[in-house]
Amino acid sequence: MSIENPNAIGDSAGNPNNDGTITAVSEGELLQLVSFVVGDEEFAVPILSVQEINRMMQITRVPQSPEYVEGVINLRGKIIPVIDLRKRFSMGELKDSSDARIIVVEVANRVIGFTVDRVNEVLRISSDIVDPPPSICSSISTDYIQGVGKLNDRLLIMLNLEKLFADYDMDELEQVTKNAA
Amino acid sequence: MSLEDMDQSLLQDFLTEAGELIEQLDSDLVRLESSSESEHADLCNSCFRALHTIKGAASFLGLTAVTTFAHAAEDCLNCLRKGEIQMTPDVMDALLRSADIVRDQIEALSNGEDAPEGPQDLIDTLHALASGDDTAATDESSDPATIAIPQADELPGETLDLPAQKVDLIEFMIIDLQDYSKQLDEVFDKIGNDGTRHEAAEILEEIADNMIKTADFFELDALCDVVKLLGRIASTIDECPHDLIDETVIRLKAAKFLIDDQTEMLGKNRALNWPLDTFIERTNTLCDHKPLEDDVMKKHNDDIQQLLILDKVVTAEADATPTEAPAPVEESETDQPITETKATPEATAKTETKAEAAAPAKKTVEQTIRVEVSRLESLLNLVGQLVLNKNRVLALTRTLKDANTSNELNEDFVGAAGELDRLMGELQVSVMRTRMQPLAKLFDRYPRVIRDIARMTSKKINLQIEGKETEVDKSVLEQLADPLVHILRNSADHGVEAPEDRLTNSKPEVGTITLSAEHQGSHVRVAIKDDGKGLDREVIGNKALERGLTTPEQLAQLSDNDVFRFIFEAGFSTAEQVSDLSGRGVGMDVVRTNINKLNGSINISSKKGKGTTIEILIPLTVAIMPAMVVGVGNHTYSIPLQSILEIVRPGEEDVYSVNGQKVMRLRDTVLPLLNMRNRLNELPTENGDRFAVVVAVGGQSAGLVVDSLIGQQEIVIKPLDDAYTQGGPFSGATIQEDGEVCLILDVIELLKHTTNLGQEKAAA
Repeated sequence: MSIENPNAIGDSAGNPNNDGTITAVSEGELLQLVSFVVGDEEFAVPILSVQEINRMMQITRVPQSPEYVEGVINLRGKIIPVIDLRKRFSMGELKDSSDARIIVVEVANRVIGFTVDRVNEVLRISSDIVDPPPSICSSISTDYIQGVGKLNDRLLIMLNLEKLFADYDMDELEQVTKNAA
Repeated sequence: MSLEDMDQSLLQDFLTEAGELIEQLDSDLVRLESSSESEHADLCNSCFRALHTIKGAASFLGLTAVTTFAHAAEDCLNCLRKGEIQMTPDVMDALLRSADIVRDQIEALSNGEDAPEGPQDLIDTLHALASGDDTAATDESSDPATIAIPQADELPGETLDLPAQKVDLIEFMIIDLQDYSKQLDEVFDKIGNDGTRHEAAEILEEIADNMIKTADFFELDALCDVVKLLGRIASTIDECPHDLIDETVIRLKAAKFLIDDQTEMLGKNRALNWPLDTFIERTNTLCDHKPLEDDVMKKHNDDIQQLLILDKVVTAEADATPTEAPAPVEESETDQPITETKATPEATAKTETKAEAAAPAKKTVEQTIRVEVSRLESLLNLVGQLVLNKNRVLALTRTLKDANTSNELNEDFVGAAGELDRLMGELQVSVMRTRMQPLAKLFDRYPRVIRDIARMTSKKINLQIEGKETEVDKSVLEQLADPLVHILRNSADHGVEAPEDRLTNSKPEVGTITLSAEHQGSHVRVAIKDDGKGLDREVIGNKALERGLTTPEQLAQLSDNDVFRFIFEAGFSTAEQVSDLSGRGVGMDVVRTNINKLNGSINISSKKGKGTTIEILIPLTVAIMPAMVVGVGNHTYSIPLQSILEIVRPGEEDVYSVNGQKVMRLRDTVLPLLNMRNRLNELPTENGDRFAVVVAVGGQSAGLVVDSLIGQQEIVIKPLDDAYTQGGPFSGATIQEDGEVCLILDVIELLKHTTNLGQEKAAA
């Protein structure tokens, strides 16, 4: 039996929970985010869903997996898939990959890595400045967007990791039918 | 008490133990039904004990649902044991169902739910079965007590006063005590010897632990105190100074003598109560490793009686009665007349066999500890990592060698690496061995399955089991459970004919299904053989044509065994009607899928009218295995060595094209070739397509065309189970010497593709 009261902890850290989503937050609550750049956009995910951020490493291609699956990596003995976010969002190829990183997240009990052009910073923003996703957004389906954070000089697209990594069924189905055809 | 309040470790122990007991109960019940007179009593008692232990532990943990239900079943079993009701299939059905219910309850508990109440109708049935004799049962159980009263004056001690529900069990508890007492004798021999003392102390502690439960049952303080003393001695004797050992041992013997004495009296429904204070006090002094006064230590001359008198446990004159009894070692002889006065002769016979069987068995029983599976898993995982690291070190050694800077340091390093390799191999084998379990764990369930089917279909089937002691990896065992049930069901339901049909075909009325297992190299071979009607090539062939699985021309060319393979196709069933048991065509598909997952193969042979044999060949373990690493395009892939037959270099003149499918002539056979570069969408390389790795699984073979061979390696299989990476022809991935991930080719999946290709081509 642990000494601490789990409820008390839950209350004090009522911001993002670690399943990759940002829960409905009360007014003025602080969100802790990791921001990164893919293509021309700046994205953010809750820091609690991020397990680690790695430099680019050897990624083993997995034939006959969806196109945006970059492959698998060896994460200290565990094999996890890596998603190419550029391909996932149908952006062009990255020219200079010197700053590229693999962000490893845990979403709905799956550990998944995804590649980003570069990682910006860890930041806290108030939930007050987060707007619901706009109806039309550049290249990304609004389904994957939790909200948009308006910072002084820039906009942060807050990703809904759970949705982003959960809709593989459809894509996979397409892939399979394409292969069969 | 709710589940949360319960001590989790106690509950866990209960669940594990109860799970095992239920398994045993199940198989004993099935054996009971067909048992001979002589076995009947033993089996009944064994069932009764199992159920009773569950009930006892459940009531201790406050699991009322389990207790109530187990009690009802126990009542019924008790009547059976006493011969008040006859063993009929109905009784057996009710009892087997009860075992199922208790199993469900335990399962619910282990899932963290509350145990469901036992179904009322079954409880009623059980009561009804037992009730006709219910009153008689109570009468009889109180009988020994009433008989004992007239003797009360002559016997020492007080009349044993136990609640009615315990009276039935006295007999068992006494047997327990006798068993333990026998074990004690062996321990005493060892404890006197410096070399074996430590080991003996551990055993003694265990015995004391077990005994205390039994002592608690009788609610006798005197007995409990003595047993506790045993435990105390056990925990301290290891560090006992040399000059005190003898004194301690004689006290151990005295304690055993007291226990035996008590046991004897309990058999007569009497309880002894000794004034133990001095005995306990002096023994405790010894346990603190302080000597006793000289006169106490010497005076008894190593005589137990003398010692007990000195310690004022028994008085000199009362002593007269026990001294008549011979020394404690022969105690068991005197036990028999006692049991005779109380119980039926057959129970006596059983006492004897029990005690005798227990004694020699004890010597060979290996000491075991329970370990959580998760700990073994993490151990295996670590070993897996180590194997990968070892591979890496070996790779570095090779680089060093190639660098050709031979000096002493280099040689030392190579030597050390070689040693590491050897030790790793041993460690790996040892760890894998901890995960091995006998197939009996599975096989023992099946008599029940067959019995139920036989009863439902009114057939007569005898299940013979051979080689159930064969050990396989735990994960293999788990994966094998479902396939075997399906095959056995099929054999019993479709294979074995109805008794009248069998007789008209001049076969014995009782059908026989043989389930056997044996080791074959690094594989285990499990065979299920029945003497039923066999498979009908024509019926299966026609069904396959109907379902478009083959063409008439192809069919004509297939061997019998290949035709029989069609029964593994999903949805394939030749049964005219779907029964409760089988006929939906799902089962055999499950069989194939699970066996494939284990990298195993399956073969059917059958003779119409004679019977069918299904053979399964599975590797002993699935976690670590040797593999051939090959290069395809710019990447490397692993192929499990166990599916590789040979590796050849086909010359251009050997390769032909048949219906668009590349084939090669290999000696007398024609082998379909599979270009891995195309299959894996790899880029072409110079000097490609050089080797054909000939693989075979389950009678099918093909040549996998690869660009280069890299070498043989121990690989540790990691699952490739994320939805993103599933779907390709891979059974998993492994980590290479340089830390890079290497995919393991799923040979079965690849071969499936070739046959499909062939069929599509043929159909077009």
